[in-house]
Amino acid sequence: MNPFPVVRADLRSLRWIALIAPLLVAVAVSVGVALSAQERALRQAGTQAAADFDLLIGAPGSQTQLVLTAIYLQPEALPLIDGAVLAALARDPRVKAAAPIAFGDMFRGFPIIGTTADFATRFGRLAPTEGRVFAREGEAVVGADVTLALGDAVAPSHAHAGQKSPFGVEAPDEAAHRHAGVHYTVVGRLPRLGSPYDRAVLVPIESVWETHGLGNGHAAEGPIGPPFDAATVPGVPAVAVKPNAVADAYVLRARYRQGGTMAFFPAEVLVSVYRTLGDVRDLMVIAAVLNDVVVFAAIAILLLALAGLRRRRYAVLRALGASRLYVLATVWLGAAVILAAGCAAGLVLAQLTVWIVGALVEARTGLSLSPSIATADVLPLLALLGAGSLLALLPALAAFRIPVADTLRQS
Amino acid sequence: MPFSATPERAAAAALRLARVGVDRRERGRPAGAILDDIDLVLAAGETVAVTGPSGAGKTTLLHAVAALLRPDRGTVSWGDTDVSAWPERQRDRWRRDTVGLVFQDFALVPELGVIENILLPLRFDGFRLPAEARRRAEALAARVGIEMLAPRTAALSRGEQQRVAVARALIRRPALLLADEPTASLDAATGARVADLLLDAARETGASLLIVSHDPALLARADRVHRLVAGRLVAEPLVAEAAP
Repeated sequence: MNPFPVVRADLRSLRWIALIAPLLVAVAVSVGVALSAQERALRQAGTQAAADFDLLIGAPGSQTQLVLTAIYLQPEALPLIDGAVLAALARDPRVKAAAPIAFGDMFRGFPIIGTTADFATRFGRLAPTEGRVFAREGEAVVGADVTLALGDAVAPSHAHAGQKSPFGVEAPDEAAHRHAGVHYTVVGRLPRLGSPYDRAVLVPIESVWETHGLGNGHAAEGPIGPPFDAATVPGVPAVAVKPNAVADAYVLRARYRQGGTMAFFPAEVLVSVYRTLGDVRDLMVIAAVLNDVVVFAAIAILLLALAGLRRRRYAVLRALGASRLYVLATVWLGAAVILAAGCAAGLVLAQLTVWIVGALVEARTGLSLSPSIATADVLPLLALLGAGSLLALLPALAAFRIPVADTLRQS
Repeated sequence: MPFSATPERAAAAALRLARVGVDRRERGRPAGAILDDIDLVLAAGETVAVTGPSGAGKTTLLHAVAALLRPDRGTVSWGDTDVSAWPERQRDRWRRDTVGLVFQDFALVPELGVIENILLPLRFDGFRLPAEARRRAEALAARVGIEMLAPRTAALSRGEQQRVAVARALIRRPALLLADEPTASLDAATGARVADLLLDAARETGASLLIVSHDPALLARADRVHRLVAGRLVAEPLVAEAAP
């Protein structure tokens, strides 16, 4: 048998409903698919942004806050740890590299991060795409997305916790908080990391200390960078440590968990954040699936009503010699086509959604999401399609059971 | 151009209704008879008309003949076979292979074109159309006088629609043509043309034709006319009884 000509006729007779119904399905299913794709993209981008932060040392407090501030550059006032830690780490054979990270200033919405040239290149992993890394105080190297050119001057202002300013434009109160007489000159640009650091202005830690009247961390005039050998090295909010080996990482973590510091693997914090994120995602996906079921059921009921209205058409088909099965297949296929078209359109809609939301997230956080729909996102959809096909049997069975002679006589 | 009888068509046979009774059902229980004690024979190739007042059971009689319903009493036989004893699947199959139906209201699928409507009864078994099916549908459309192959039959006039319905009834080369008031919703001239088509088709293909009708012009052209009153065929067959 070939029910398609009648299926086509049935769909044509639906007119605009044949467009609206799949669209409703599309909107419903895209939510779940987009949620799950977006959450995965967020996790991937978050993990990637944390790539160079093997071990983080800071003042005892919230690990999550330290991760958010040091890795994702969410402005927050953090307590400092004794600058002597830097010297101790520099001497430690288990440490491959350690870099102070200091924040608190900004320029036109771009956070200014005081660190070492070594960390600016991510311990030698990156090379500037333009110019070079800072080599003396007063120089700055900028992230890929900072809208400053080489040679531009940067005048830092004091930022406050939770500050959210648009990037690239001077905030109204920036001038009021400007550090008098401090200027940096942009000497280089870093390649894109896909992390909030793409919007950061990196400057020598010595300059940040001096801006705040703390000296420069060195005993004598000389080149910038470690070792920091002043009698009293100024404090820093965070130190990123690259251990020599995995075992060293655990020893270092244990060592700096005492004596006025905390040490942890950011990956651990992320895992627990992701666990919560995953739970929320699961809840929302379940809500989305229930939503889909409601929409599918509504459409099945609509088609059930339509099958009732089309009783005569199906009775005529039977009178012309169609089997019950032919009528069943016709009605079921009509419903399945609507659901399948809806699901296909839903995938397209979900992809569009994750692109748009991804762009919004990147605009807000600097995390570069590359969301795409994966098999795992589509699997629940296939299950839904199966459930929808079962629901589509309702109108099909109704048509299957039409009493032919009675129906023909009634009209 | 003839309707062409070809060897593949269903074998001609006599249709025989013996003591057929169909009960009206209310809430599933019998509540009086719609048809009672009907005896009727159509020889192969014969054209027989049944007339009678509304509600006399004419359409039910046609449905019993088409095996769309199973009589509560009696038998409907095609040749030597008691069709009414078959289960539904088998009756569907027999109807598909043997019967061509024409309805009062044409019952086309308005969203489909002329050719697709004519081809519809061929869609019930194979996924692919038999060879030459489309050409044959076009020939039938031409034979019933439809030149404009409208993409939607809803656009056709009533007379054209009924002619398409006749072509649809003929596509499977049925041995038994059944027509339920085929001219009732057409004006006299259009009705006469449809009547011509039906009678010509039956004659040329050798099919038996059973017509239920009030139309005197149509009744006048049948070999025999029976009158159905309150579910019973009354007295002897009347020939051209309904002439005004």
